[in-house]
Amino acid sequence: MDERVHCGTVLIRAPLSTTSVLDEAADTVRLTAPWTAVLILTALPYRFLQAMFFDQLLEVGSSASQYGNLLGATANLIVASLLLALWGRAVYARACRLAIARGDAPGRAAWRVPPAAYASYVLTASAMIFAGYLALYTIVGFIVTVMFAGLAIGTMELNERVGVFAPFRVMARYAKSIAVPLALVFIFFIALLVALVNLWAAFNLVKALMTAIGGFDAPRWPLLFGPGNRRFTLIVIAGAILLVEPFWIAAYVVFVRKAGAQESGDDLRAWFAELRRAS
Amino acid sequence: MTVSLARCAYHTDRPAFARCMSCAKMLCQECATQWDGIWHCASCLGAKRGTRRQRSGAGSWIGAAFLSLMFLYLGARVMVWTSAFIAGLF
Repeated sequence: MDERVHCGTVLIRAPLSTTSVLDEAADTVRLTAPWTAVLILTALPYRFLQAMFFDQLLEVGSSASQYGNLLGATANLIVASLLLALWGRAVYARACRLAIARGDAPGRAAWRVPPAAYASYVLTASAMIFAGYLALYTIVGFIVTVMFAGLAIGTMELNERVGVFAPFRVMARYAKSIAVPLALVFIFFIALLVALVNLWAAFNLVKALMTAIGGFDAPRWPLLFGPGNRRFTLIVIAGAILLVEPFWIAAYVVFVRKAGAQESGDDLRAWFAELRRAS
Repeated sequence: MTVSLARCAYHTDRPAFARCMSCAKMLCQECATQWDGIWHCASCLGAKRGTRRQRSGAGSWIGAAFLSLMFLYLGARVMVWTSAFIAGLF
């Protein structure tokens, strides 16, 4: 893999499959490492406000329906911060696509997200968020909307012009090969659980080290960084989502690229080029 | 891996090499040009370079912005309703 990167060739090299998408997504995330900072920084307010919303919801409990104004105000803030988070995702997705195309770390070109592509992404992403909350009761519906949310970021840059229906048509075109994007949803759900456990363990490890090394006494820490603290639990969940998000975006960008290449024969050309170089 | 038997839209005697991501036409190696990581045909690439640039109409921008705002507003409301409903179950 490293040789190919140094040669500046395209990263696409295997037929479309879930494992090949994940493999190439991991390489893409490695190449776009500095851009993950942009993604995480822009997503921080959104995830923090989401954690705050669920904290308020758990606080009011079964009488939540009587606190509509409080929850509504936080929900409005979440929606406002979402626009910034979507811009961060758009920049990161562009960085991923440039890395895939060039086989090299993307430069400042990643900042230049086409306005039409961003506007199309805001439309599709907001529609998916609306549909996601609407379908929250039906687990299958929620899974499908998560898949389409991934396709929305993956197909973002294919929208060269703004349209009301065009971005959804592009998404639908790539949803035809449904097995891979659906498998990605399940895999990233498992990845989220793994990230959650690791983050939890990392916090507890640091806590244990701080207590053990140098006789640092922190009797309040087990209370603050434990399952009894609801806010800590919510922040850890938000942190796990932030950790998984770059891989999720890269996977869908790679999928869209590979699915497009498969129908055009691009992957075959790349494969032959690799064989010629190897011989 | 299946090998496509599609032909170039401009040279029907040649096998397809890529698909234009703008107009979805199949293209041979001569007709396909990769720009910014995406394959284009000559006419679409020309349009992108500004000779015959196709811009989004104001109506499309307004429509997309209106729909986005509507989805965001409704999304915030549905978020509250759904969460309150689920919280009420426990």
